Parts: sequence; C-alpha cells; structure tokens
Amino acid sequence: MPKSTQRLCRRIARAACALALVLPLAACDALTPGSTAAVPGPRSVPSSTAVPEGDVTLRVQFADAPLMVDALIAAFEKGHPGISVEPQYKTFSDYVQNLKLTMTSDSAPDIAQYAVGMTDLAQDGHILDLAPYREAYGWDESIPPVSLDQLTAGRKSEATGGRALFGVPAGLSMTGIYYNKELAEQAGIKGPPRTLAEFEEQLAAAKDADLTPLGVGALTEGGLHLWAALLNQLMPTDDYWDWVNGTKGATIENQAGITASELVVEWSRKDYYHESANGTGQIDSTAQFAKGDSVFLINGNWAAGQLATTMGDNVGFFPMPGENAGAPTVASGFSVAYAVSSRTEHPGAAGAFLDFLTSPEAGQIISDNGFLPPNPEAVAKPEGVLADIAEGHRRAIADDGITTFPDFAAPAMLDRLRSGVQKLIADRVEPADYLDSLQDEWEEHHAE
Amino acid sequence: MTGAMTTATRSERWSGYGLLTIMAIAVVIPFLSVFLASVQPAGTPVVGLTWPERWSWDNYQQAWSVAGFSDLIRHSLIIAVGVVPACLVLAALAGYALGTMRLPGGNAVAAFFIAGLTIPVELIVVPLYFDLRGLGLTNSYLGVILVEIALFMPFSVFWMRTHFQSTPQSLVEAARIDGASSATILLRVLLPLARPSLMTLGLLVFMWSWNQFLLVLVLIQDTTRHTAPAGLGFFVGQNTTDIPTLAAGTIIVMLPILILFVVFQRSFIAGLLQGAMKG
Amino acid sequence: MPSRPPVRPPGTRGRGAWRGYVYVLPAFLVYVAFAVLPALHTAYLSLFEWDGVTLGEWVGLGNYQEILQDSVLRRSVFNALVLVVFFSFVPIALGLAMTGLLARYRRPGMGAYRFLFMLPQVIPLVAVGVTWRWLYGDDGLVNQAFRTVGLDGVTRAWLGDFDAALVAVGLVGTWVLSGLCMMLFLSGVQKVDPSLYEAARLDGAGPVREFVSVTLPHLRGELAVAMTVTTVAALASFDIVYVTTNGGPGEQTTVPGLLVYRLAFSEGKVGLAAALAVVLGCLILAIVYLINRLSRTET
Repeated sequence: MPKSTQRLCRRIARAACALALVLPLAACDALTPGSTAAVPGPRSVPSSTAVPEGDVTLRVQFADAPLMVDALIAAFEKGHPGISVEPQYKTFSDYVQNLKLTMTSDSAPDIAQYAVGMTDLAQDGHILDLAPYREAYGWDESIPPVSLDQLTAGRKSEATGGRALFGVPAGLSMTGIYYNKELAEQAGIKGPPRTLAEFEEQLAAAKDADLTPLGVGALTEGGLHLWAALLNQLMPTDDYWDWVNGTKGATIENQAGITASELVVEWSRKDYYHESANGTGQIDSTAQFAKGDSVFLINGNWAAGQLATTMGDNVGFFPMPGENAGAPTVASGFSVAYAVSSRTEHPGAAGAFLDFLTSPEAGQIISDNGFLPPNPEAVAKPEGVLADIAEGHRRAIADDGITTFPDFAAPAMLDRLRSGVQKLIADRVEPADYLDSLQDEWEEHHAE
Repeated sequence: MTGAMTTATRSERWSGYGLLTIMAIAVVIPFLSVFLASVQPAGTPVVGLTWPERWSWDNYQQAWSVAGFSDLIRHSLIIAVGVVPACLVLAALAGYALGTMRLPGGNAVAAFFIAGLTIPVELIVVPLYFDLRGLGLTNSYLGVILVEIALFMPFSVFWMRTHFQSTPQSLVEAARIDGASSATILLRVLLPLARPSLMTLGLLVFMWSWNQFLLVLVLIQDTTRHTAPAGLGFFVGQNTTDIPTLAAGTIIVMLPILILFVVFQRSFIAGLLQGAMKG
Repeated sequence: MPSRPPVRPPGTRGRGAWRGYVYVLPAFLVYVAFAVLPALHTAYLSLFEWDGVTLGEWVGLGNYQEILQDSVLRRSVFNALVLVVFFSFVPIALGLAMTGLLARYRRPGMGAYRFLFMLPQVIPLVAVGVTWRWLYGDDGLVNQAFRTVGLDGVTRAWLGDFDAALVAVGLVGTWVLSGLCMMLFLSGVQKVDPSLYEAARLDGAGPVREFVSVTLPHLRGELAVAMTVTTVAALASFDIVYVTTNGGPGEQTTVPGLLVYRLAFSEGKVGLAAALAVVLGCLILAIVYLINRLSRTET
C-alpha cells in the first residue's frame, strides 16, 4: 500500500470542505441540472401521408411478441421496397428498465413500443404527437377511436387542437389463465371455471392429483399479473382506473387489495404454485407449462402464438373468472402500440409503417399471434387457443373490462410490484404492508 | 532431519496437494458444467453436469447468429484497441515523470492518481451519461473509450511509476551526462527496458476493458452497438429456456480473454498479483 | 513495496523542475475530465431532486435523509455489507488456511494450480453470473449434487429463495475471489526466509504456532491488499447481481449499484441515485482508509 494514502486522505478531506463551501453558491439557475436540456426536435408529425423517395431504414424497438413483429415487418417491407425495418427485441424488464435512457438518447429507435414512462416522455417531447396522421391517414375509420384515446397521454395536440396521439395500437393484449387440457382432464377438471371459487376448486383438484396447479413466473412479471388478475375481480374497475391514472385521492389500500393479496398468499401456502415460482421468469414458466409441468399458467396473450405452436390443441385459455358467474369479464390488458421518437429522421416512413399496422393484412398477422387486432371483423376466425383468447377479448371489451396494467401507476411501481408479490408468495409480508408500500410509491409520484 | 519428520512431511505434502486439488475442482466444475451444456443438442433440457450423448457444436453457430456475437465481439475489440494503446502511452509518460524526476508536488500528484483506485463505476456513471449525452458521446465508442482510459489511469500510472522507480537511476544519469534530452532518455533508454511491464499492463487493461459492463450498459443504448458482455446480459433474458444456446453464448464471451490468459498466463498472473500488491 | 526517493537529477532545480509535468499532463487531463469531475458532479447532483429531464430542484441534503429513511435503500447498503462477508472474509479465511497448510514447503507443480485459481479473475463477471444463474437453477448443478446425495428435500431455485438468495450470490463472489486471495498469500509466503520456519520447527512449533508466529506477520501487506480488493468488489458489485437475481426475490439481493442504475435511469430519481452513489463511494473510501490505517499501526 502506498504510504501517501494517509496524506492523500487529508487532502481529499480539505478539498471536500472547500467544495462544500462553493457548491451552494454555485447552485444558481445555470448550473441546475436540466436547465440546458435540449428540446429533442419537432413535437409533432407533418400532416401529410407522403413517404419520401429513397432507401430508408427504420429501427423498431419492442418487448412483446417477437414472432409477430418479425412477421409484420416482413409483410410491410414487401409492400414498401424502399423502406427496410430493423427489429430490436428486448425482454420486457430490460425494455422497461432502459426505456427512458433509450428514448432520450441520440440513438433512440425510430419506432418504439408504448410502455410505462411514455407519458413522461410524451410530456417532455421525446415522442411525436401523431394527431396529424390520425386525420391524414384516416385512422379513425380503421381503428375504433376508443383504442386511440388510450394513447393520448392525457394531452391535447398542439398541431390539430384535438386529442393528442402518441402511439398506434397494433393489437390489444390481455392477461389470463392458460390450461393444459390433458392434465386438466387427469385432475378431473371439466372446462374453464365460471367463478373464482370454482377456479380455486380446480386448483385444489390439480393439487390432489399430484400435479403442479399453477405456473407463475414471479421472478419477472408473472407474479404481478396474477395479483392484478385477482384484483381485477375484486376491485371496482373505476376505482382501479383512478388509481392507475393517478387521480387525486385514489388508493389501493382497500378491502379488495387486501383480499387479492391474501389470495396470493393463501394459494402459496396451499402449494398451488410451482415450488420455485420466485426463481422462475415469465419466459421459463411458459416453457415449463408447454412441457406439461403445470396444469394452469398465468400469462398474457403474447404467449399464445408460441403455446399454440408447441402445444397445438392441448392448450386452452380463459380470463380470470369473477366472484360470481354473472360478473363482468375484467382483465389487464393494453394496446401493444408503437410510438415514434422525435429524433427520427424518417417520420414519413414511420407513418407508413404505423398505417400498415391498421391494415387488414397486418390485422391477420396480429390475430394469428394471439392479439386482438384493432379491427377484429376484418380477419379470419381464429382457431384453438387463439379462439379462446379472441372470445375472452370479445367478452372483456363488451363488459368494458380491459383495465391497464398496475405498473403503469408510477415509473418505480414495477419494481415495487415485482418484489412485493415475491414477498407475498414467500409469505414474507403482511398484505396491508405490501399495499402500503405500493401506495407510498404512488403518493411520491403523484405528489405534485 | 529425523525419519519421523520426513513421514510427517510426506503426509502433509499429500494432504496439501489433496486440498489444492479439491479447490481446483471447485473452480473448474462450473466451467465444465457450462461447457458440457453448450455441446448438448439444441433445445434439449439439460440437467447439471451431464455428459452429452451426442456432441453438437450447432449451439455455437446458433448463439453466434442469434445474438450477433460477431458484431458484439468486434465492438468490444474496437473499444479495447482504443483503450489499451492510449493507456500505455499516457501511463508511460506520466509514470516516467512521476517516477524518475523530482517534480514539485510530484508525490501529491501521484497520490491523487492513486486515490482513483477506489472510484467505483457507480460513482461516476450517472453524471457521465448526462454530460456525455450533451457532448454527443453516448452511443459512441469514443465516449466509452475515454471514460475507460480515465478509469484505468490510476492503476496504469501507478504501475508505470513503480516500474520506472525501480530502474537503476544510473542509467538515466549516464544518458543525461551524454547530453540526452528527457524525451530521448525515455524513448531510447527506458522504454526498451519497460517492455515486460508495458506488456503486463496492456494485458490487464485489455481484460478490464473487455469485461466492463455497467459503463457500456449506460453509455451505449443502441443494442446494435453493444459489447460482448452487454450483449450477453441481454441475451440471457431472452434465452433462459434454451440452456445449450445460452451456455454457448457464455463460452463465446469468455473465449477471447481465456485464450489471452492461456497464452500470456505468466504476465497475467504476475500482473494481477503484483498489481494488487503495488496498488 | 520499498520506494526509493528519486535521486534529484542535476539541473532540474527551480523553474525547470516544472517542465516534467508536460509528461504528466495528458494522463492528468483525461483522468480529471472523465473520472474526477464526474465524481464531483455526482456529489453536486445529489443535492437536487431531478428526474433527468426537466429542471431540477435544490433539496440540499434531502436525498441523504431519504437514504436513511427508505427501507429499500437501507436494505441495499445492508446487503452490500453482507456480501463483504462472502466476497472478503470467507476468501481470506480460505486463503489463509490453505497458505498455512502449504507454507512450509516449496511445492513443484504449482503452476497449473495457479492458472486454475486465477481463472475466475479474468473472465467477465457477466459470464460468471450467467454461469451461476444456471448452476443455481431448478435443473442446475447445485440441485443435481444435492439429489445425488439423497438430499432431495433441500433442492430449490436458490436464487428465488428468500433465505438463500443473498448467500447464493455471495458464494459466487467467494468462488471468484478465493483463488486471488490464496495466490496473493502464497506468493507473499515465498518471500519469507525458509530459515525462519526451520528455526520455528527446531523450537518445536506445531503447524498452528508456526502459522501464527511466522507466516501471518509476514503477510500483513498481502492481507491489507486482499481485504481492500475484495471489499471494494463486494460494495461495488453490480454485474453479478444484475444477471443473476436483478435484486430479487423481494429486496433480498438488492445492492446499491443496482439501485443507482435503476433510480437514475428507469425511475427518474437522478438526485437520489447520485446521493446513493456518493454514500457508496464514501463507504468504500472509509473502509479502504481504515484497512490501511490498521495494517500500518500494527507494524
């Protein structure tokens, strides 16, 4: 060890003191972080559908359904020989974890999947307001306006004066329960449950048959999907929306939250989950389910394409049932939508790609991959598990029951939910304390 | 030595080797496990340490093309090729002056460099991102290269300073009497002698540069420009289920540094041990 | 290391003496610009509440206060200290034990062992993490080993287990750093005059006393180094945790490095992240200082 370390430490201490004196003085506006933040570019797209001549490469970054995106790109490139699209797939947690960095960097992709944090990015002008395209391309005709209104980030368009638009939906997602038909039969389970209580009986039956009842990929997002699916059945949908949207006074600390959390704990105590649920990612739990490791699996429709391919007719799907048979179908879901970076040099080409997503051809690809296309009438009737999902979608939409994901409530909510549900599954936290930690994060974010 | 002593020695000797071997096995087994997994037929479920029934090298091809390792490795090399020579030149210059000349306040400057040995990447990465973005140096290899040079500078300067301090002063004196300038002394007299030290330093810096993860994760957002470890970090999330392919990817990322280690093990080990001692 | 004071070359008195700084300047500039200033900038940012995009707000020491109050942040510092046990104490204890057993004899064939023991040092920690992530998995080597010896009951996904996860991550550090510690100590022992051992043996000293009275005192420098290197590795750990557990389950393996990254770049709490980074930096500096201080006063 160098002998000079000690002297050095003294020196550092002196320098630190000097710095401590200077800093408050220096904290004037010019030095305040953020004061020089450059406005990234235009805030809105042009209002024409013109696509410039010449070869263009669009980079698309996304987190859901790589097979679907690849197929969409291939179909789009066929129709637009001048434009090539380069897909950049990240897993959901990598994607969300890096989204802000990515979209505020100079190498932001031209097009990016809409996710948590996009609201903030929209507010700061990092993604383009697409409202002019909405009119120019006539998207109100090809997409139910409701789906577009999910994507306004709560803002008005500066360009058109109407509602802003920060993404174009390529399909609606939805979480629910997959089941292995052979294993279900083994356990004496006859068809999808009509009520939550009946579902619990089926889980118990699977347990009695010495099978793993429910696959949960709680290492990543699987746990929060389960918790949210239960919450959706127990909490009035309007209250839930208020909470996710940050409406003043909303809270998750209520009886529904407690009951949903208690169910997660109870099912764990009854060994309904795979033993290592907390150590298993969503992707892994899906692969294990496909191999026949569990009777049920909590996941979203984004896994449907893969499961239909590997399991064929042996897999079915149902949305989490409500407390009684007549209850509306409520499930977490969100438009898998794509936003355009304000740093793109090719807003015209990006517009063409987004417009392609609203076409019947794209709708067919979207439907084949288990997503509900923006315009379901225009596609062929799906089969097998895809039909189950389409039916679930139909019921949920009819009941106005597609709620968004709970992690949309605040940027740090995903981590709180993930670690919180892990604790519930491990029986390491009181449901009330878990909800309290969520509400703390909510209040911190929605304080202003 | 009495006879009793010698037998004690022998049993001690064997128990010593026995323990060494046990620890060596503990080190090797994880590598072996990954390697064996990487040669299993693609997509097969693999359990722990399993001898493959059929050796399959397809996974390497698969990992290579799916994760784009040829690009990832090229990017890692670009960065290393920028970092290593710059580190060597800057450290040789500074080490020469701090080690052989009596500079006013020279010890304090040396100590200032050494203090940097304790700087973790976490401490600098947050403002670096925002500052470099302002300069257009995020998503650029240049940005990563400059920061890595700065991060490795404390060790490099210290290493070269220690080296130059240990070269006989008489060499410098003699050259000076012959009228050589300080630059000539460095170039003609000292650097040729410093080759082994520079070589070891170069290897260490290359290794640190190759292995750097957090810095790249933050400074390079464009996944198509990632380095090998960063690429592996993302690859892992996408391929957890396909163990053979994942294992092959892991081996691919380790391989370049492993090869260097095998070829230059003497320099490497000396560097790691002495480097730690000197630092 | 003995460092002779450099002989003052003739003719470098006075103003000319400063000329040598021309050689230092390039290294100095890069180092200051891309390491020292960013570190100070971190300290500055830590006094603001800033989301990374809009105008920041001066909060003084508010972020530091939050570190004291927030259970997740405190937990991360605690976890880092637990990791010190596995990254530092265990490897050093192992290394010392091995050295005690091996110190007395020159051993041929050490080259191959040295190569193996240093191996974990040179490969990227990300690759190490990926490797262990699999070893700890359901079908991994660890569970396979337990099943082989009939302990099916203890098998689990180790990284997803609340009690085991932090220990599991810590043991990865043990695996990486034990070889380095051992090689450091063994090379330190080489410098001990063999006659000291013979003298001790003639006095009838057993292996334990010999270790305590001869080996250990000569390893003080190596011990300080080993402690410094391993402690910094534990406190500043990021790569291994990021690829194995990403902080879970719950916050069982959340470490400061991970939170700095998350807070600054995905949760938009740049000031808080900076404050945590400063705390981490100070902790490292304090421990390094303490180790050096102790290793010197014992002399």
